[in-house]
Amino acid sequence: MIDTLYLIKIGEIRLKEGNRAEFERTLRQDLTRRLATIEHHLSSREGRFYLKFDSTHAEQVEFILSRTPGINGWARSLRAPKDMQSITKAAHQVLETAMSRGAITFKIEARRSDKSFELDSYGIARTIGSSILDTHADIGVDVHHPDITIFVEIREKAYVYGDGSPGVRGLPVGSGGRGLLLLSGGIDSPVAGFRMLSRGLALESLYFHSHPYTSQQAWDKVRDLALNLATFSGGMLLHTIQFTEVQLKIKKDAPADRSTLYLRACMMMAADMVARSRVLNAIVTGESLGQVASQTAENMRFTESYTTYPVLRPLVGTDKEDTIRAAKSIGTYELSILPYEDCCVLFSPKHPVLKAQFNAEREAFGLTGLTDVVTEAVRTMQTLSLPFSFTPPRAEARR
Amino acid sequence: MAARDLLETSRKDLARVLGTTKERIIFTSGGTEADSIAMLSTMTSTAPRSIVISAIEHAAIYEQARVLKSLGTTVIMIKPDHAGFIDPAAVAAAVRPDTVLVAVMAVNNETGAIQPIKAIASAVREAAAGSGRRPFVHCDAVQALGKIPVEPELWGVDGVAFSAHKLGGPRGCGALFLGTSIRPLACGGGQESGIRPGTHNTPGAWAFAQSAIRATQMLDTSMATARHLEELLIDGVDSIPGASVIPNSRRPGDQRYSPYILSMAFPGLGGETMLRLLDEAGIAVSTGAACSGSKKERRVFDAMGIEPSLSFASLRVSIGRSTDDHDIFAFLEAASAAYARYRL
Repeated sequence: MIDTLYLIKIGEIRLKEGNRAEFERTLRQDLTRRLATIEHHLSSREGRFYLKFDSTHAEQVEFILSRTPGINGWARSLRAPKDMQSITKAAHQVLETAMSRGAITFKIEARRSDKSFELDSYGIARTIGSSILDTHADIGVDVHHPDITIFVEIREKAYVYGDGSPGVRGLPVGSGGRGLLLLSGGIDSPVAGFRMLSRGLALESLYFHSHPYTSQQAWDKVRDLALNLATFSGGMLLHTIQFTEVQLKIKKDAPADRSTLYLRACMMMAADMVARSRVLNAIVTGESLGQVASQTAENMRFTESYTTYPVLRPLVGTDKEDTIRAAKSIGTYELSILPYEDCCVLFSPKHPVLKAQFNAEREAFGLTGLTDVVTEAVRTMQTLSLPFSFTPPRAEARR
Repeated sequence: MAARDLLETSRKDLARVLGTTKERIIFTSGGTEADSIAMLSTMTSTAPRSIVISAIEHAAIYEQARVLKSLGTTVIMIKPDHAGFIDPAAVAAAVRPDTVLVAVMAVNNETGAIQPIKAIASAVREAAAGSGRRPFVHCDAVQALGKIPVEPELWGVDGVAFSAHKLGGPRGCGALFLGTSIRPLACGGGQESGIRPGTHNTPGAWAFAQSAIRATQMLDTSMATARHLEELLIDGVDSIPGASVIPNSRRPGDQRYSPYILSMAFPGLGGETMLRLLDEAGIAVSTGAACSGSKKERRVFDAMGIEPSLSFASLRVSIGRSTDDHDIFAFLEAASAAYARYRL
């Protein structure tokens, strides 16, 4: 039975007046897709979504709402007829729930978009406030730091609700286009992916596997990371390219101190080919300036020259500690630190080149014949469609 | 037969195999417990003390020693030579007046090096003779029983640890030969003369004794087969360009090594990567060190002075009862193909 109403605040979208309708449509489509298995009714009015569903699905619905970019927050809401008696009764109900959880101070925040309502915002708050104080001797008003804020909104009906839960905010997935995330097993790239997803970029993921140098467990870990990201994106494609031949050729034909640089260039070249064939608009990496010795502006310029797509690096100016904190908050950190080697140390040079000379390096790279090997590797790419899951894999299960 | 009779018969059978009396056999849950009973008995006195162990001991001794160290025991570590052997004179020289225990394994589980236990025991006795103390001489012989002659009485040691599954017996069962009386740290219901209190694993003990009898009866035949396979293996590895056995001085038929264990290196190809490739070819071997090559994983080779580039490209091959020529050839073929293709 559809018996529960959630009022969903769709944050930033409201600020962009010109594009609002388009953004709302994107978010609505996204939410509808994620809620496909749950009987529900979704409507929108004046920058708010109203979601009605059966209360037995509350946990699943909250999981979805907490992971859908574009949602600022939500609250379970009571709907009342537009008269002060009914509204006050609903406010008591919200307050008593909060009091049962220990609230001893409150505040009323009233707003009316229906200006024909009998009282103004101040009048509404005062009427409800005095009714509460008359009824309960053990609760007081605190307008600065209340334990519970009771929100009252007068629209086509009256909506009454308490403090809600926060969403990931940002913009709806897909509103900013589609991109390709270079996903490794590390800490950074899932965070980079999350950052772009929450800015509205729909993502597909690309992983470079080097069997036999990297293990099946390493691939499993990347898949599990992608499954976690898929809870924010509502499903995700994971592409895997076997890069062994590319790495062997680099080892054989490139100067040892160039191996990391050339490998990155080859990955960028492959990503460019994938983006083209998948009709995507950008490449996303977890690079952070200076995080490893070879992540310099000179080297980024060199690797980036092998694609014509914008390379988005949301972590480029981020401190590692902040990235770790973000990884923990989106639930990927524990998976990322599982000890399956991403790439064999035998491939890594002891002293990588730090500042590529752009023109000379482009010329030298061109002579290696790596383009053909990369093209062949991309040709045998495998793609897996990862579904949205209410129970994404956690690291504990893998230990 | 009553359970107690079965247990005592098994004890008698195992004692006979070891050339000792049944009073000196303590059944345990495996090699690790047998080792720790001996190691932890040193904790039942509060006097300042030291222990002497080899640097190539199995984790059952090595890790236990680290715990003892954290509790105040001085741990003196004896390094092997480049070929993997512990020098009896070096052990004897390390023994101090406060040394309460000396532990050296019979056969190293990574190199197969057979340690001169008898010479070590007698050198230790001689060194300690003047002090009036008598250090407990312990030997982890998990890799030895059923493979090479094991004679605790002849070796002159006080404790020897065994595990049943290494000779075809069940897992979770082992024994401690105890030639002298000790005060155990763990106490309980008084089983196994109070040395290993806890409920008996009677069927495990019986199966252990039976497999020990069988393995010992077949000792010479198995040894001949293993030596033959060892020769195929060492010659084969040496014929793969770049590959070498560890230590590279080891030759086929060298009586100082157990033929059942052989380490080798494929420099330029991580042991873990080779392991994966062989696994896909249906061949099960093991590696002590992962690609990341942490120090802990390489400690035996580090102690021998083996180059890190070799130890992290190392592989360990064990020859089992059912291994035959074809298995060795299949391994050599798969390893050599993988090495040629993926060597970096």
